[in-house]
Amino acid sequence: MLRSVFGKVIHDQWRIVLGWAAFAGIWPAMYVALYPSIGAIGELQRMLEQFPPALREFFASSSLDLSSPEGFLNMELFTFVAPLLVLAYTVVVCGGATAGEEERGTLDLLLANPIPRWRVVVEKSAAFVIGTIVIGVGMWVGAAVGAAAVGVDLDLGLVGQAIVSSLLLGFALGGLALALGALTGRRWLAAGVSLMVAIAGFFLNGLGALVDWLEPWRPISPFYHYISNDPLTNGLDPGNVLVLVAWAVVGGVIAVVAFERRDLAR
Amino acid sequence: MPDAIIHTERLTKRYGHARGITDVDLEVRPGEVFGFLGPNGAGKTTTIRLLLDFIRPTSGRALLFGLDSRRDSRAVRRRIGYLPGELTLYDSLSGVELLTFFAHLRGLPSIDGGRRVAKRLDCDLTREIKALSHGNRQKLGLVQALMGDPELTIFDEPTLGLDPLVQAEFFKLVDELRAAGRTLFISSHNLPEIQRLCDRVGIIREGRLLAVESVSDLKRRAVRRLELRFAEPVTTERFASVPGVRELAIDGLHLSCVVTGSVDPILRAALELRVEDVISHEPSLEEIFLAFYGNGVSGGPPPDAVPTAGAPAEEVSHAA
Repeated sequence: MLRSVFGKVIHDQWRIVLGWAAFAGIWPAMYVALYPSIGAIGELQRMLEQFPPALREFFASSSLDLSSPEGFLNMELFTFVAPLLVLAYTVVVCGGATAGEEERGTLDLLLANPIPRWRVVVEKSAAFVIGTIVIGVGMWVGAAVGAAAVGVDLDLGLVGQAIVSSLLLGFALGGLALALGALTGRRWLAAGVSLMVAIAGFFLNGLGALVDWLEPWRPISPFYHYISNDPLTNGLDPGNVLVLVAWAVVGGVIAVVAFERRDLAR
Repeated sequence: MPDAIIHTERLTKRYGHARGITDVDLEVRPGEVFGFLGPNGAGKTTTIRLLLDFIRPTSGRALLFGLDSRRDSRAVRRRIGYLPGELTLYDSLSGVELLTFFAHLRGLPSIDGGRRVAKRLDCDLTREIKALSHGNRQKLGLVQALMGDPELTIFDEPTLGLDPLVQAEFFKLVDELRAAGRTLFISSHNLPEIQRLCDRVGIIREGRLLAVESVSDLKRRAVRRLELRFAEPVTTERFASVPGVRELAIDGLHLSCVVTGSVDPILRAALELRVEDVISHEPSLEEIFLAFYGNGVSGGPPPDAVPTAGAPAEEVSHAA
């Protein structure tokens, strides 16, 4: 395993990633399993229908249709919990990709080896992509197991697409954290600012649905591209996918360029 | 000079005001053990980190093996072993895992070279690094630096935290590497260590290279403060004309003076009487700078404006 920087990340993280994937899988399993036993679902549905449409938009861009398990998952899981489970991983590991080693002081030793700096960024990022996918698989398996256990008829293909959308959101903000870490050499600054951008983006997208003058700004929020198309109902939208991938790629490129050029702290 | 292992031309790195290095011209020849002596904060580590391309020069350049430290950094690092000054290793790995990881990054076929050095230094490679003492981590740092039998090894303060036995083993290792024709670059703030290990020494202070001397010249010009205690009162006349003695002060049974070069003449003179105690103070780096270069450090502030850094005066006492 310890054959490359990529392998070293896998070596260091596989337990944490598997643990996090299992934890992330509990949530969809729980929501799916609870769905049939929520007797008051009709009651809840009627209450939600009293909400102004704009407020319903805040929770998810879907029509908040609780009569299907997908609608219930959209509100309970994909509005907030799923992105948070993914972002907690990507933002923290990407923020620390180079900055963590820089702050701990292991970077000098690593780069005394004949490897180019860009490879450290690229190989670590590749390992983080694998880790993120494993977390996504954990969530999907959780949903599938939950559905099988209580016999709910859930479209697992669409659930998969919604999870992929949340992973792409994770990559987008991970790219930001990677770039900030490479630029500043400070891991918690990188992770913290990225998380704040995520939260600001969450509110911008949600409030943009309520407030007219915010509406045109929604596309600058990565959350808009994550959820506005309602992937759990409609599947992934290529345009939104492209925007999130672009966030990640631009972040990665900035990280490589910044890290190649900077004086490294000791 | 094309066949130099390290060659820097007016190498300069500025950070804000005080730190950094200015116009450092270094020349390290193949097969030599070069000492880089200076107090903490003088610019030793900055110079080393420029050579390894961790930081980039403000002006000037460095060539290693005739290759540019920036443009050809990878090719340069392939041929260098490095022990960082403030060593931090990967805590989650064991020694074997660390060596395996680095061997792969360096394209080495195995970690056998590392195992050999580890055996010499009695370094346990099986334990997790986080469970190792400071001294054992330092040993592992030496092991990984020397694992690939590099043409040039750069040690930044190599003996910091080593116990005397391991230090002695490290000294032997350096002698063997010298005999094998390897080039070593050793930074230290400890003059006796540099004198023991090196052929030539570059002296750096406040970011400027003051001089490059052979260690034998350095020893010839070495100054030390000597204190002698006698069983009976002594007179100034007896010692006033001894060669190399300055600042002679005699107070009844007690003599103190500064000796330049060999202490042989004064000890011979002293042994005509009954000597009860001898105390020899290794000079601090500041004292050496003063003795060698006066205040004329090009453009630098006068030494008394500089906090005394570097090695504390070491005392060796021999009861007679």
